Amino acid sequence: MIENIALVVNAVLQEGTTGAAPAIPAGAAAALAVGLAALGSGYAERGIGAAAVGAIAEDDSMFGRGLILTVLPETLVILALVVVFILG
Amino acid sequence: MSSQGTAKRGRSSNYEYVIARVRSRRASLFDDDDYRKLVRMGTGEIARFMEETEYESEMNALGSRYSGVDLVEYALNRNLAKHFDDLLRWSEGALYDYIARYLRKFDVWNVKTVIRGLYADSDATEVEDDLIRAGEFSERRIDQLLNAGSIEEVVEQLDDTIFGDSLAEAYEVYEESNVLVPLENAVDRAFYEMMLDGLPDNPEIDSPTGLYVEFLEAEVDFRNLRNALRLARSGADIDPSEYYIEGGKLFDEQSLAQLASNFDGLVAAVRESTYGDDLDQALGALEDAENLIEFERALDAALLEYADRLSNRYPLSVCPVLSYILAKEREVDNIRAIARGREAGLEPDEIEQELVIL
Repeated sequence: MIENIALVVNAVLQEGTTGAAPAIPAGAAAALAVGLAALGSGYAERGIGAAAVGAIAEDDSMFGRGLILTVLPETLVILALVVVFILG
Repeated sequence: MSSQGTAKRGRSSNYEYVIARVRSRRASLFDDDDYRKLVRMGTGEIARFMEETEYESEMNALGSRYSGVDLVEYALNRNLAKHFDDLLRWSEGALYDYIARYLRKFDVWNVKTVIRGLYADSDATEVEDDLIRAGEFSERRIDQLLNAGSIEEVVEQLDDTIFGDSLAEAYEVYEESNVLVPLENAVDRAFYEMMLDGLPDNPEIDSPTGLYVEFLEAEVDFRNLRNALRLARSGADIDPSEYYIEGGKLFDEQSLAQLASNFDGLVAAVRESTYGDDLDQALGALEDAENLIEFERALDAALLEYADRLSNRYPLSVCPVLSYILAKEREVDNIRAIARGREAGLEPDEIEQELVIL
């Protein structure tokens, strides 16, 4: 059984080295990463934004704090953007 | 309100928004210091103090028609209705449904007030000022109730509501005995039983529905406990099961019937229960002082604390909203107690004992 796994692993590794094109090119994969990260932060901001608007409606002085907390998940997208530069 | 309700039920709940607003309002309720100041004021000063707070617009709107303690009281009622209507306005989906169910409490209050008014032959405008228009009844229905000429008419008008069946039954008893108690009990029981009706018996404990049920069960338990204690202390020969509200987990009908005649047994049973820790202090005070009023205050405070704990443990649920509703009601009760107490010339210390402060 273990021998079989070794065989399979070898086959997979060799396929990479033989120069077949990857299913997703590096640039597209990076774009996908950024897109998914943006989707995630968008979802996170949905809840935070709703709460922030609620807080601001009650008390105007919460505006600054609410804004900062709302855009915090945006860091995810910035981190994902790093991937693009590493690949590019 | 009901047409608005059906439109809102289809959407998903917006817990984040409602809870942010509710927490902010919760934080701006009167605190210990405000109460300490209020207790030492005269009635005129209380009215002036309130004009500078949250209650400003209501005080100004009613200021030309009333004065003194009446002004304070009606402003409180109106402010309460405004805040609770806001809750319904903001919320959507399942959250709306939960809040609307709970706020039917004020329908109960309004029905009782109208019936009492008719029983005592009060003026319709006098009754109207005592109503709290925060429940599910539409303005039109409330106006119809106000114009009713007899208790029978009120019962007929409520025929198509959740109170219909039980009120009709109780009306027969009322006709025989001519006391209001059966009617009021019927309204209360219809409310509490409807509140838990249609919710699953054993929902997941951390789900929003589970928390809602947990809170309501606690409230029903406390209500039953209060009724049982009153019966036990008064020694009246009334069948406790007549006052029993279904849905709590602390008592079932039989155990309540047994315990109501046995005061020490009742206290011991509560001590053993899941609320034992929360009520420990209150139970101690009850055994020492044998003072029922103090114990009822302690019950109120314990329920408030329980709601607060639930709301901190599960921030994104209906619990913070319920905890706010309770706290707001307590505030209104407290201010009313202070104003009435000062009017009657009670000492600050005496009034402070009447307050429910966490």
